[in-house]
Amino acid sequence: MDTTDLIPEPPIDLRTGGNAPTAPSHDRPAIFEVDGLDVFYGDFHAVQDVTLDIARNEITAFIGPSGCGKSTVLRCFNRMNDLIPTARVEGSVRYHGLDLYGPDVDPVQVRRHVGMVFQRPNPFPKSIYDNVAFGPKIAKYDGDMDALVEASLTKAALWDEVKDKLRDSAYTLSGGQQQRLCIARAIATSPDVLLMDEPASALDPIATLRIEELMYELKEEYSIIIVTHNMQQASRVSDRTAFFNIEVTDGGQRTGRLVEFSETATLFTRPQHPQTEDYITGRFG
Amino acid sequence: MALHDDHHHPHELRHHFDDELDEIRRGLVTLGSLVVANLSRAGSAILENRLDLVGEVRHGDEPIDALYAQLERETFQILALQQPVAKDLRLLVAATRILYEMERSGDLAVNIVNCLDREHGFPRRADLDVLLGRLVAASARVFSMGVEAIASLDENAGPATDSADDEVDELTGRLFTEIHRVSEEIGLDAAIELTRVGRFLERIADHGVNIAENITYVVTGSFPDGHEPPAP
Repeated sequence: MDTTDLIPEPPIDLRTGGNAPTAPSHDRPAIFEVDGLDVFYGDFHAVQDVTLDIARNEITAFIGPSGCGKSTVLRCFNRMNDLIPTARVEGSVRYHGLDLYGPDVDPVQVRRHVGMVFQRPNPFPKSIYDNVAFGPKIAKYDGDMDALVEASLTKAALWDEVKDKLRDSAYTLSGGQQQRLCIARAIATSPDVLLMDEPASALDPIATLRIEELMYELKEEYSIIIVTHNMQQASRVSDRTAFFNIEVTDGGQRTGRLVEFSETATLFTRPQHPQTEDYITGRFG
Repeated sequence: MALHDDHHHPHELRHHFDDELDEIRRGLVTLGSLVVANLSRAGSAILENRLDLVGEVRHGDEPIDALYAQLERETFQILALQQPVAKDLRLLVAATRILYEMERSGDLAVNIVNCLDREHGFPRRADLDVLLGRLVAASARVFSMGVEAIASLDENAGPATDSADDEVDELTGRLFTEIHRVSEEIGLDAAIELTRVGRFLERIADHGVNIAENITYVVTGSFPDGHEPPAP
């Protein structure tokens, strides 16, 4: 698969950071640089003025109450908002320094590099094998497909559980296994980013911990952004946490705002903003 | 003052949890007050050779140990069950440290009367008694400042208490010099026991400073400069 059209060589420069209050300085290069992002759905101003950098090979968590815009921002990273006809994105999202919303960028190509895992496991009604091979086939992958399927399932910590029943339907798997299959499917197309929207909220605690453990291993190779309502999950797995909140404008409109973005250990022990303190300590009503 | 009453929200949640945190804080103040009361008895004992108070001070340490154990249990239970973060977490972590400081201070009050008991009363010298009286008062004051900080959640408590402790250190130094000066008159055994008393009073004040600095940590998220607790 040809990836050189989107990932520039040499790799992006180190950013010094600190130019915006919501962008902590990174000791790792940024994979995404978001600057002044606004998202509209028709007249609805869903997210306002978000500026932040996402560091490479880290897990970044987005937390905040329902309607705060965290999923909306997540969907900007692989242009999923393009699929909503009324959606409009302003400001800039740069991926490896390239404008993700530039005129020459193909959203399908973007999604090949920026994979996504959804809240409910959504395997295709196909065999386990075909679920993983689906993306590479569409991308006209001409290497050893068996090896790619095995490698992807191994990275998703599922291989040992399914290697003897690859031709069985994906629906024979448990919820937690299905979600790991979806992760295998996402990484089969060799992305370098994984977006996860509430990836464990439909799973039991053990399956949840397995996904979290997997995320920890995956960040060696991928940059991960996770949206979660589970604050303990954010504090357990992520390196950095962004807290979004709902702001009611003068006109009575509700809009999402980035309130605080810090290292996770700092955000959960010494949050800087009172809104963050109230939310993470559960005093927000 | 409730821990979170600096923010007002129309729809506050976790009232039950807030009550649990306030109960821990009230318990710490009660425990600190028991220590202050026992320290006061120990002070009277050594200043007036009240050997009858020795048993009372030893007995007075029992409710301190019991309340210490109870509050530690409750603190660990909240840590385990409520998954506190931010200021809540800082309060509970500080509570475990403060509990230790208080329990040690209680033991030191007993150590003080043990010194008196071994000597069956101290020889009295006017210059020595003046310094000893001032040290007892200053040490109790600094420790009490720590206890008051738990109630007031004053973010400046740490630095303020640390400054107040300077007087304790100075008086301790002067007491040691005076003991040395009169050591031949009062005898070596009494000189050693009085020196230990001075040392115990100085330590109690240090525990008060540590308590107040933990309160500064609860409120601000960091210890006063250069006063971070030692790594475990």
